[in-house]
Amino acid sequence: MLSRVADSVFWMARYLERTDNVLRLLRTDYIASQDEILNFDWQRVTDTLSTKSETPKVVTSYREALYHLILNKDHDASVFTNIVRVRENARSVQDYITKELWQCLNDYYHIVRDPHTEDLLLQQDPVTALDTLLRESIIFYGTVEVTMNRGDGYTFLNLGKYIERALQSLDLLEMKWDIADEVTEPVSWKYLLYALSGFEFHTKFYRNALQTEDVIHQVLFNTQFPHSVSYSLSQIDRYFQRLKETSLTDNFKEMEFLAGKMVKDIQYTTVNRKDSVAVRELITATRNQILNFSHKLTTLYFGYT
Amino acid sequence: MPFSTLLTDYQTTPNVWDEMCDQQAIRSHYQVFLQSLKKDSIAELVKKNELAKKLFMSQGITFTVYSDGEGIEKIFPFDILPRIITATEWSIIERGIKQRVKALNIFLADVYHDQFIIKDGKIPAALILSCPNFMKEMVGVDLSHGIYTQISGIDLIRDSDGSFYVLEDNLRTPSGVSYMLENRSMTYRIFPDTLPKNNVRSIKDYPDLLLKNLMALSKRAISNPTVVLLTPGIYNSAYFEHTTLARLMGVELVEGRDLVVDNAKVYMKTTAGLKQVDVIYRRVDDDFLDPLVFNPKSMLGVPGLYFAFRSGNVAIINAPGNGVADDKAVYPYVPEMIKYYLNEEPILKTVPTYSMSDPEHFSLVFSQINKMVIKKTNESGGYGMLMGNAVTEKEIAEYKKEVEKNPRQFIAQPIISLSTVPCFIDGKIQPRHVDLRPFALYGPQGIEIVPGGLTRVALREGSLVVNSSQGGGSKDTWVLA
Repeated sequence: MLSRVADSVFWMARYLERTDNVLRLLRTDYIASQDEILNFDWQRVTDTLSTKSETPKVVTSYREALYHLILNKDHDASVFTNIVRVRENARSVQDYITKELWQCLNDYYHIVRDPHTEDLLLQQDPVTALDTLLRESIIFYGTVEVTMNRGDGYTFLNLGKYIERALQSLDLLEMKWDIADEVTEPVSWKYLLYALSGFEFHTKFYRNALQTEDVIHQVLFNTQFPHSVSYSLSQIDRYFQRLKETSLTDNFKEMEFLAGKMVKDIQYTTVNRKDSVAVRELITATRNQILNFSHKLTTLYFGYT
Repeated sequence: MPFSTLLTDYQTTPNVWDEMCDQQAIRSHYQVFLQSLKKDSIAELVKKNELAKKLFMSQGITFTVYSDGEGIEKIFPFDILPRIITATEWSIIERGIKQRVKALNIFLADVYHDQFIIKDGKIPAALILSCPNFMKEMVGVDLSHGIYTQISGIDLIRDSDGSFYVLEDNLRTPSGVSYMLENRSMTYRIFPDTLPKNNVRSIKDYPDLLLKNLMALSKRAISNPTVVLLTPGIYNSAYFEHTTLARLMGVELVEGRDLVVDNAKVYMKTTAGLKQVDVIYRRVDDDFLDPLVFNPKSMLGVPGLYFAFRSGNVAIINAPGNGVADDKAVYPYVPEMIKYYLNEEPILKTVPTYSMSDPEHFSLVFSQINKMVIKKTNESGGYGMLMGNAVTEKEIAEYKKEVEKNPRQFIAQPIISLSTVPCFIDGKIQPRHVDLRPFALYGPQGIEIVPGGLTRVALREGSLVVNSSQGGGSKDTWVLA
């Protein structure tokens, strides 16, 4: 397939996955903020989810934070901006993706621009708005599964999706860890799992009160958990293998090595889950491996300029 | 009259051909459709109109106007009532366009080779050589099957007696065919079951016919040549059309930066390395195709493309240099071409055209300017045009100065009041002026025209300007079997 098209499909999937993760996090945070006696720190949420290079936005209320993080057109990391990016990427490959997929993304775009969405977020029940938006990303994944052919485009789409997912899970784990202290730790882990749609799974799989080691295990290593880093990396490896037939041999071999190493490194790690310093080092190392893989993919497969 | 409740606001204009009404009577080919409408009150039509708008929006069939970083979505205005053309009318159109396209192709081959038509004194040499779109680089180039205009869009209008006139030929990169296809699929949704009941001919073969022709032009003797559609990119106003056609034909939609020329062959950059391209259906203008030969500032083209084309390693569709045949100053000579090359009488009429470089014509035109329209020979889309009946004295004086500067660039024609058809506007059925652009596909097996075309509507009451850039819309066009 055309390198430019592969690049756009890849980034379309990355921005969509990012949007989905941010929306889940905001939904959890909003509910958390309604459930706490103390003032929920929206400024911190705003700071962590904003682009680092921008001047920090001061928010005085949760509505203001929601506006900035979801609807603000001038904010480079807002959900709105990301959906526009998803759609612009889709537009540039409109002939390649299916008509159904294009219409689904087009609907997503119209929903985030809908005055009703703004009204819900800023005047009424924000959860309804977040659920509506989240449903659109689920429809996206369903539409991909049902309508897209299983050629290289599908592969690059999934590579984008799982690269972004792994990065988001790493970021989120680190972020919740940063803010957790002895008192708030259990609650903080709970919200982390909610944000990753993994709380119910946790109670079934680990069958005891929330413990830091178990949470770390779930988010980093549990291969049954679709938001775990380990699961995402094995998906990256699995999808990448599909490119064997259509790749230039040297390019494929170089990437195959990186993908394989990423998966095995985390699978056979000897890091003690109770050793927080070592776990944090592992997070950083894994993130660097993923970024390197993504960078190589760009140069070897998408290099068209 | 049975349709009176629907048609209370339908006031036809004297001396204008209305395609639905003959005096007060409804023409027979509109009867079946109007019968089916009778059940629908005006309120129903309002609902259908809403539905159509919603469908266009959700399918993203929109123009995007960029400002402040965020695109503003605009729907290409669509009128829900179809325009109906009878089988007899269509057979005239079909024969007329085939004849015309055939003659224009021979003309292009002639003008870029032996130039018999000039030597025989049928067309002045100065007219051709002064044409900005006469491309010297094309002289002596042999094209496969001798076809220059694989795709043409011929604009037709109807005079007060209903006869068809050619308004202009579009032989370079005619657009609008995706709207022809989309408008039809809109009709399925808003008027269920009316198409079969009215015995409307299908237009869905267009992409297949086009692909078949494009594949036949590959210079390599391989069973599955690589055909691509070259687009200027997502900011082009016709981008939607480019994606639609690429999707329907299953060919790659490429931008200039996706292509590279090596050793006089064209390749596209894929995730698996370079892949040779055989046929390029380009929607990029001649001037931007190759910065090495044409406009050096072009970022849309591919350096070396023209050399690859000249070397016979890639086919470019439509051929470069076609602009010499659809130049508005060459237009009045087309009937002569038909007689000269085909020894036939023209089937479709031509609008009388005055060349402004002729001093007699010049004074004649400006003496009755209120009946005239002056156009630039090298512009389309309704730009640079002066409608003599709708401007002030001052505007005329200013325009006159422009014409005097470079009279070769202007022609004048008497204003023809285009025919009217029923449209649903502001909750009423009202007549509006239309033209018709059928699309002719010229392949090794001859010329084929899908029964239909793009009907463009001047949405403002009384307006004769149908161009989408000037507030025009479109509607579905039915050709009855």
